Parts: sequence; structure tokens; C-alpha cells
Amino acid sequence: MAFRDANARRHIGLQQLSALASTGRTFLGPMKSHKFIVDEITKQSTLICSAVRLMESLDLTSAVGQLLNETIQAQNKEFKTGMSTLLFLVGAWSNAVVECLQQNVPVPAIVSVMSEGLNSCCERVQCLQIPIHDVKKELCSSRVRPQAFEGKTGQAGCDGLTNPWDLLCFQRDISATEEVIPINSCSHQGDDCNFNKLLVSPLAGFGSVASVVKAAGDKSSSVLSGSGVTASSCITRKLTHSRHFSTLGKSRFTSQPGNFQGHLSGPSADVCGCCGLGHLAVALSHGNQTSVKLLQSIAAYQQERAEFSGCSQVNISGIVTCCVLGLPESYSCVSPGFVKLVSPEQATVIKHFADKPLRVLLMDGDLTEGYRHLGFNRPTNVRTILEHPNPQGGRAEDVWVSRMLDILMSFEVNLVLVKGNVCKNFMERCIASRILVIGCVARDVLCAFGAATGAQAVTYLSQLNASSTGNGAWAELWKTSDGRAVDLGELLPARISAGGIPLLTAVLTTALPSKVQLLEDQFWTLLYRLHHALKDGKVFPGGGAVELLCLSHIQALAVQPGQPGHDRVVRELPSPWLAEYKSIVLQALASGWKRYLSVLLCNTAKASSELEAGASVDHHLQKAAACGSPSAYILEEFRRGGVLRSGSEPLPDQVTDLKVCDNVAAKTEAWRRALDLVLLVLQTDAEIITGPSRNQILNSPVSNEFIFL
Amino acid sequence: MSRLEAKKPPLFISKPLTRDAVSQSLSLLSGILKSSYGPAGRLKQLHNGVGGCVCTTSQSSALLGRLSLSQPVLRVLAASVRNHVSRFSDCGLFTAILCCGFIENFRSLNVAPFTVIKISKHLLSLCMDHLKSEACGCRVSVDFSSVETLVCLVRSILTSKPACMLNKTEVDHLTSLVLKAFIFTVPCHVETNAVLGKCVVIPVKGRRVMDSTVLPGLLIEAPEIQLGKPLAVRRTSSNVIKIALFSVSMSGDGSNHEEGTIAVHPGVSLEVSELNQLLNVGKQLVKDEVGLVVCQKVMHPSLKQYLKEHGVVAVDRAGLSLMEPLGRVTGSQPIASIHSLPPGCYGSLKDLCLESFASKHFLHLIPGDTVICSLILCNRSETAWDELKRVCETAEHMLQLTVKEPWALLGGGCTETHLASYIRHKSSSLPASTFQDLGCSQTQYQLVADGFCRSLESVARSLSHDGEEVLTDVVYGHCWLVPSGSPCVSRWSDLVSRCGCGVSGNTEDLSWSFLQGHSGTPVLQGCPKEPSVKVADLRTLDCFAAKCSGLQVALETANLILDLSYIIEDQN
Repeated sequence: MAFRDANARRHIGLQQLSALASTGRTFLGPMKSHKFIVDEITKQSTLICSAVRLMESLDLTSAVGQLLNETIQAQNKEFKTGMSTLLFLVGAWSNAVVECLQQNVPVPAIVSVMSEGLNSCCERVQCLQIPIHDVKKELCSSRVRPQAFEGKTGQAGCDGLTNPWDLLCFQRDISATEEVIPINSCSHQGDDCNFNKLLVSPLAGFGSVASVVKAAGDKSSSVLSGSGVTASSCITRKLTHSRHFSTLGKSRFTSQPGNFQGHLSGPSADVCGCCGLGHLAVALSHGNQTSVKLLQSIAAYQQERAEFSGCSQVNISGIVTCCVLGLPESYSCVSPGFVKLVSPEQATVIKHFADKPLRVLLMDGDLTEGYRHLGFNRPTNVRTILEHPNPQGGRAEDVWVSRMLDILMSFEVNLVLVKGNVCKNFMERCIASRILVIGCVARDVLCAFGAATGAQAVTYLSQLNASSTGNGAWAELWKTSDGRAVDLGELLPARISAGGIPLLTAVLTTALPSKVQLLEDQFWTLLYRLHHALKDGKVFPGGGAVELLCLSHIQALAVQPGQPGHDRVVRELPSPWLAEYKSIVLQALASGWKRYLSVLLCNTAKASSELEAGASVDHHLQKAAACGSPSAYILEEFRRGGVLRSGSEPLPDQVTDLKVCDNVAAKTEAWRRALDLVLLVLQTDAEIITGPSRNQILNSPVSNEFIFL
Repeated sequence: MSRLEAKKPPLFISKPLTRDAVSQSLSLLSGILKSSYGPAGRLKQLHNGVGGCVCTTSQSSALLGRLSLSQPVLRVLAASVRNHVSRFSDCGLFTAILCCGFIENFRSLNVAPFTVIKISKHLLSLCMDHLKSEACGCRVSVDFSSVETLVCLVRSILTSKPACMLNKTEVDHLTSLVLKAFIFTVPCHVETNAVLGKCVVIPVKGRRVMDSTVLPGLLIEAPEIQLGKPLAVRRTSSNVIKIALFSVSMSGDGSNHEEGTIAVHPGVSLEVSELNQLLNVGKQLVKDEVGLVVCQKVMHPSLKQYLKEHGVVAVDRAGLSLMEPLGRVTGSQPIASIHSLPPGCYGSLKDLCLESFASKHFLHLIPGDTVICSLILCNRSETAWDELKRVCETAEHMLQLTVKEPWALLGGGCTETHLASYIRHKSSSLPASTFQDLGCSQTQYQLVADGFCRSLESVARSLSHDGEEVLTDVVYGHCWLVPSGSPCVSRWSDLVSRCGCGVSGNTEDLSWSFLQGHSGTPVLQGCPKEPSVKVADLRTLDCFAAKCSGLQVALETANLILDLSYIIEDQN
């Protein structure tokens, strides 16, 4: 076992952290520079544009590198956003902490003051949070809103969050004690909010569905109109598209697969007209327009399906992506159902299906002869004795293929979705028998088809019985929004869907193969941002507003005597002693955000150097301090079009275009994770390498740093 | 062709403790352990150097469990400490540091080892008698009818490991969860012999600590069960859910790992016959009105399908660690064969429902009356979660030990310095007959006693990691830390604020002095006094049982090591 002292005057671990983090500097802010990662041996290169992909491509064998990677992956797993912030702050704070160490600040003082300082900031910035309900108002105050709306079904779901009639949430759960279905509580929306309260008393027993629909469309006493609101606008509302109020198979999407092209019309030119989430999506996109378009379609679709009602969530598990190479990016769109690239042979089968409803089978393993469920250990000590040679001489696989095909035929299955791989031989035989078999289908997709068609996933075909197959799926070749079929040679996109399936595919088109992963990452990032914004119920004003407030808050704390009154710190360390270091440590914490803002300004070309950017940040800080209430100043600046505008910059005409929002939890969690990592490394004084790598260490250039136990 | 090689003779190493290599390794290990001690202790990164996961820790169990020690002397020490930790969870570093201290201090004395052993055993008995006596000044009794002392005990453990990365609110939240979990494990109806239950830790990594929670009953992860759908589960006529618990694999592979070969004729499939047997079991379960089947290992998909079609919820891969609590919660006997279901093997549950935490789905088993609970433990990073899990388990265990012996020892180094001053006082006033009984001179006794006290004090001094001065006072014998680089003041009372455990303040003049180990720690004029303890002042408390055992284990191990005269190493 080898042992290395990590704390030899200058903290090696913190230096490693800072070096690793400095590689991600250009990923900060909306204007990200792409990077090529080149493998020195294979000369292969990858185009990356995010901290996660950077970490994946770097060779992180050191302990600190692994911890950093672990931290970034954890943030990515939960939020899919904030990783660049995390990476940058890790670097900035580890530099700042090293400076504290050089000024002989004791480690416990750094740890307690920094973590309490961050806590205090997280509490302070809560006043900047904008509730989702207010986002629309906040973001497009200039818009002239329609005073009334039409109750056309075509527009259903297009104003979801703020229109009360759309948010009819109905719990069929008889045991639920609440008798009232909350419609919408956005009474503060004033002008365009046809606010009403709909009281639905569940009738005793089950037969209430029909009467509820009636109650909604009836100008009866159960509709209480809000002040100054015409109840009649509600009456024309037809609830045919709500999942709860229409019988399956009666909705537009489900009954007419042939007529419906499987495309959602993109948002209209006026984003405000689309849906309440439109603005939020734009604000969270930080300038990525392609993804915004897709997101608005998804929001509109899910709203229409009443997925959104009440809970206001984006259902992430109901969304998959499919990348189609060879089309310009403008063809990217959202299709209901499942889009996947298939071979030309499979495409022929699909063409042959025409509009026929298909019987579907879902398989949650591989479809090969040798496949056995996980945990099945093949016995090694079993031998088969052949008494006489097999006259047919058929291979075991052929026998298996024929048997399986017979099973499929006997249940008249046309479509098989397989989670794992499919035996090539079997695939060919199926195509010949006009059965479409699709492999490598994600679990969520199988679940969605299961829910829509009634099919139950099986592991082996021998498990098949009448109840495990489902009905009502269909398949067609995917067409672009202008109706073109796509024939790009080897693989063709096909769309498979089923009545009422809660599944959407974002078809991402690009002509550049190297951009595929980028586009996919960007799409998911934005989707998760929207998801988390709805989950949090609030967003932060973006563009550095929050960081600026943190900075001003910390600087105020640093000069304040005796504050912050964290009793734990004060109890453990005598206060006069702590006060000596408090200011140094808080300045170190603040320097992280200051560098963040400076680099942000540089990356967005608002400042030509970090020095200039720093001066600009200081200028804004002074203005905020002079204003008396920094948070009020920052909010006001945000409303006027952005926090860190330079004085010469003209006020933008279209204010709505420029407003940027950030996620609340993702941002504060990224800060916390970054600081936790820095403090964890700071408190580490030794690296202990276990295991039999003694000779390797002895031969390495740093062997003199190690001691062996 | 095989070649025979003559065996090498074993290697004899005499007087191992006098060897340089041994004493170097010993002082390095002692340095690692000392630098990890206490709430400001430094962390160690443990990894295998080739990309394995990194463990950041300051915990004795993680450190000693992963270190590969080559010196037999160190291995003896590590084994004793790990054995102590396996029984008491807490005070591992204390034991190890104290043991190293004893070895270092006793080795340098010019006294024969057997005399040292005799005297030190006598000193230990003095300590233990003092700790168990009513007059003990470093012991407080734990009042289970109020929560304050318990909170202090739990908080001391949670804050003692900085790698958990907890802030104040998170410590408060976890303290209340650990206490809640402990209360769940106390049986409501006590018969002749009460048995405390168990708290099962459910990992949810990557989430905020504040998302952690505790639930009565057991949670089993069931990734295949879809949320949103109501859980349809069969109930018996008496409205309970019957449960069958299988410890045998039901994957249908026969699990036939015996030697020899099985010959089968073509057309005979062992797999099919195995599956038929499984389905027969399934039929029997359905017939017996079982509503929930839990299998420790894998279940064949066909069996799962069959059970599901008959309204039986089936969960597989429960894992070995859940089997014991599952048996306790449901009262079922694990079934170890798929050929016969023993009578009375089924258990029962009051209810079953679905829970989901952080995108993980769980089946929540709710029994009628339970002493088993589940702590859903979250922490942001993997390495911090691992540390937190060990800490929470230690805290649970500590509370259970405290039920048996409802006392706690003052923490923050105060118990160590107090015991040292007690021994210094006591050893100077022993009757001559004691030395005769022990067969030693008074000088020898004084020498060993001094080494004993210095070892105890070195543990208290290990709490200082940033050059803080460690002081002790003459009145109570408590331990005080003064930050390094403090300005020179005429009176110590301007610098010290509270002692390590928080009981005494700087209001009265306590004549502080340096706790410097070698050069004259002042001998108290009298026995250290018992301070009046205000529970609200208490900052740190230690587990009584664990610390007492740690003290004994440290001394016995040190004596064993001091007594080593040869190491015989097999070189083959």
C-alpha cells in the first residue's frame, strides 16, 4: 500500500482540480465554443460542446479527476444542465481556496465560512425567483393579449397553463376525498384569464364521467363564473381531446391514422400564440431555436393530451429522439408515436401494411436462440446423447427460427418490438412472412406501447398467450413536414404508433454526422430544463442576475462585522479569531462568481478581456449597491432587458427575445456540488493507493512522493 | 511433468518492535489515524490507482478495511480494531490511536514487558471502576424520556466525519431521521425479552440530503412495477396479504452445480422440466392464497407472468441483505427449495403499496406491528453517500447500545484528559500494598502510569489539526482547544471559550495549562471535580459502551504486541 501526502505546502489536489476545470472555460454561457477532442493514437476526433462530453473524453485516472467526473455525471444524471457552471466554479473556487491557504487561513475556517456563505447566498437569491405563473407576464409584458379566445378544438392546448378550461384535472379515484377539481389558480393573470371555478361533485359510484363532461359544457350551477368573466366562452369547449373524457379510439389521433400525417404543426410565427410554455421554453433555451421549436410542439401535444393538467409537468419518459442524417436541420420536428430508422426490407413490409391495424408483441429481452433471462446460468455439465444421427441434419437455430415463426403466425402478430437484439436469420424469415420486427427499442417505448395497445411484454415467445398481444398499432414511413418521404439510402425512418399512445419522438435532422450527438444533447438539456422549471414551479432570471446578487450579498457580508451569525461556527471558533479570516474566505467565495460573470461577458463578446469584464461587473455592483436594494435593482435591470448590459448598449426593441431564464434547483445544486467537491478535496491530506501496484508506483516519476506501509 | 522444490525455512524475526521498519510503519499508521480523528480530521483518498472508485473517508472501518498492511504487528492491531468496530461501530479511531500510543509510550520505558502489562492492567481496572462509578466526572446519564441528550449523541456522530459534507440544516434533518428510525426499532409491546429491530438503509445517490426520509416497514426496489397503475394484490379471507419468501434461485437454470455430467437424450429438455417444476410451485402458491412472492435471487419470466396473471405480485432480486429483515417483518420462513413448500412458511402483511423516490420505484411492505424501518438515505456524491451510510449505521447502533447502558461520555477530548488527570491523581495516592501485589516498585508504577496518561492525552491532542493549542484545566481535567496564531494575552480565559464537550465555560478561573505530553502536565491537587452538566450546553457526547470497550481493546492489543518476541514468517 502506498501513501502520499497531498498537502505538501501547496495543495496538489486543488491544483489538479483547477487544471482540469480550466479546460471547460469556453462552455460557459450561451455562446459555447465547440472543441475537437483528438485521440493521439487512433487520430479519431470527436466534436464536443459540453462539460459532460469533455469529462467523458478526458483521461481521468487521478483520484481527483475521478471525483470531478463523478460530480459532473451526478449533476448530468439529475438535471442535464448546469454542468458547465459546476465545472467552472470548481476551478474558480479551488483557485480561490489555494489563495486562502497561502494566506495561512486554517482549513476549518475555510470550510465553515464557505459553506455557510453559500447557504446564505442560496437563501438570499430566493427573492429573485419568478413563479412559473408569472413568467409569461414577466417575459412578454409588451404583448397585446387577445381579450377572448375561440373555443376551437384546433386551438385546444395552445394556451394551457394560463387558460383555466384547459386544466381540468379529474381524479377517477373514488377513494379520493377531494370533491373539487382545481381548475387553475392563476387569477392574477387578470386580463385574459377566464377564471372560473368548476365544482364537480362526483356522483356516487362510477358513472360520473359522462355527467362531468356535461357539467363542463353546461351553463349549470356547477360552473361558477369568476368576476368579469363570461362563462359562455367555456361552453364551446369540447373535451374530446382530454384523456379522461373521451373513450379510447375516438380522438382525432387515434381514429384516423390514415388522415393524420403524424406531424404537429410547428408553432405559429407569434410564439405568444402557441402556449404558455412557449415563452418559458424560449427563455430557458438560451438561444437554441431548433430545440425550442421541438419543445413547443411537445408542450402543445402533451397539453392536448391533458398530460399537463393540474400537475404542469413535462412527461420525459414519453419522449424519445431519433436522428436522421442527410436532411437540413430545419426539418427537425416532433412526431407522435415512435420513429426509428429501419432497413429497406423492413420498409417494404411497412409499405405492405398500408393502413392496416397491427397486432403487436413486446419483448423485453433479445430475440435470439441463445438468449436467456438475466440471472440464468447455463448448466455446463449437461450432455445430449444422440442415439442415431439426425436424418434432417437441420441446425438447431433453424429449428428454433421455424418454431418461433410458427408461434408468431399462430397469434397473427404483425409487429414485434424487441428491447434487445434480434437474430438476423429470424429477422429475414419474419420479413419474408411480412412480420415487422424491430430491435433495440427502449424500455419506455415498450411501456408506452403496452399502455396503448394492451400488450404485455414477454421475455420468451413461448410465454405468448392471447392476453400478451396488443391491438391497434400501425406503421408507416415517416415523412417530412412538407410531405416528402425520406429515402436516404441505407436506413429509412419509419413511424410506428398506436391509438392514444403517450409517446412522442423528436426527429432530429442534420446534414452533418458530427453534430448528431450535439443536437441530441442540446435537445435533452432543454427538455430537462423545462421539466425542472415546471417541477420547481419557478425560475431564476438568467444572464448573470443571480450571480450578481450573490456577489453583492457576499461582499456585503464580508464587510459586516460579527455577521453572519451562524451559531455553529461561532460556537466552535472564538469569534474574534474567526472574524480575522471571515472576510478573506468570503472574498474567495465571491471571487468564484466574479470570475464566472467576467468569463460570461467575455464568452458572449460583451467584453474584450477578462479585465474589462471584471471592471464592468464592478460597475454593475456599485450601481446595485448605490440603489440600496441590490435585488430590486437586479430585477429591474432584468425587466429592462438584461442584467449585465454595458451602458453604451441600446435597449433592445424586442425585449421578449432577449430575456433568459435559468433553473432554480439545477443552478443552486451545481453551486453546492462544486463547493462540496472543492471542500472535500481541500480537507483531504493524503492519497492512499491500495492493491498490488507497488512496482508501478516505484517506477513512476513521482515515486519519491510515496511511502509504503 | 512436475518438479519438486525444497521448502524454504521459515524466517524468524526476534524482538520485532525494535526493528526500524516496524516502528516506521507503526508511526506512519498512527499518523494516518491521528490526522483523521475528530470533526476537523483530514480525509484520505483511497483508491487502487488503476481507475477503481475513490473512497474519501476519515473512518476507521473504511481505512483499516482497505489498507493492505504488510507488517504482522500492524495486522494484529488492525484486526483488533476492526473486531471492536464490528461489535460497537463507534470509537474505532479512538481505539487505534490509543493502542498506537500505548505501544509507543510503553516501548520506550525501561521496564520489563510483563511488569508493564501487569501495571497497565491495574491502571485499566482503575479507569473502568471510575467510569462505572457514580462519582465519575466524565459521564452523563442518558434520559430516554427527553430528546436532548439523544440528539447530542447522534449529532456528535454525524458531525464527526467531515466527508459526509453536511451543513447545519442537513445535520439537523438527519439527526431527527436517525432518532425517528431508532424509535421505530423499539418494540411497542415488550414481553420477557425485548429485541430491538433494525433500520435498513435504502440508497438514493445523487440527491439532496434533505430528500432523505424514514418509513416504517420495508422497501424493496421493484424496477419493473409501473407506477400509475393501482397495485392489484390478492388478499386472504382475513384481509391480510400472504407472503412467500424464497431464498433459492427461481431462474429455472436448475442451479445444479454438483460435479459430474448429466447425460440426456435428445428431445429431453432440462430447462422445460425445471420450468414446469417452477410453475407447479406457482400453482401451489396461488392455491394457498399467496399475494406477494419475494425471491432473493432471479425468478423465471414465465413464473412471474403466471403469478401476475393470477393477481400475485412477484418481486425478484431482493438481495441477501434484505432477507433477514424481510423474515422479521412478515414472519415468514425463507423457502430454500422449489420442490417442497414447508408448512407454516408463509408470512403476512397488512398492506402493500408503491412508493417512488428519485426515479426509483419501490414496493412498500407495511406490516401490522413492526420493529423494522427503512431509511431512504440521499447524498449528492457517491463517496459522500458511502461515508454517510456508515455514519448513520454507527449512529443507529450507538443508540441501541445506549439503551443497554444508559450513559454517555463527554466528548471533545474531555473524557481522555479527565481520565488522565484522574489516573495521575489516583496513582500518586496508592497504598504500598498495591505495588507489592503487582510485584513492582513505586517508580515503575509511576513510569507506566505516566505513559498510560500520555497515551490518553495524545488521543485528545489528535483533535488538533491546524496547530491549535490543546489545554487542560486543573479543576475538571477537561480538554480545551485554542486556535493557532492567537494573539498573546495575559489570561487564558480571554482565549478559551468552552471546553471540548461544552460543559464548562470560561467564566471561572480554571488554571489552564498546556497539554504537552512529555513535559510536566501538572498533577492535580485533588481528584478532578464533577462539573454540573447542563444538557443544553453539551456539544459532543460519545457512546459509553463503545468507548469503554475501545479502552480495553486498545490496552489488551498493545500488551499483546508488546509481548511479542518472535515473528515467524513462512516464506513458501
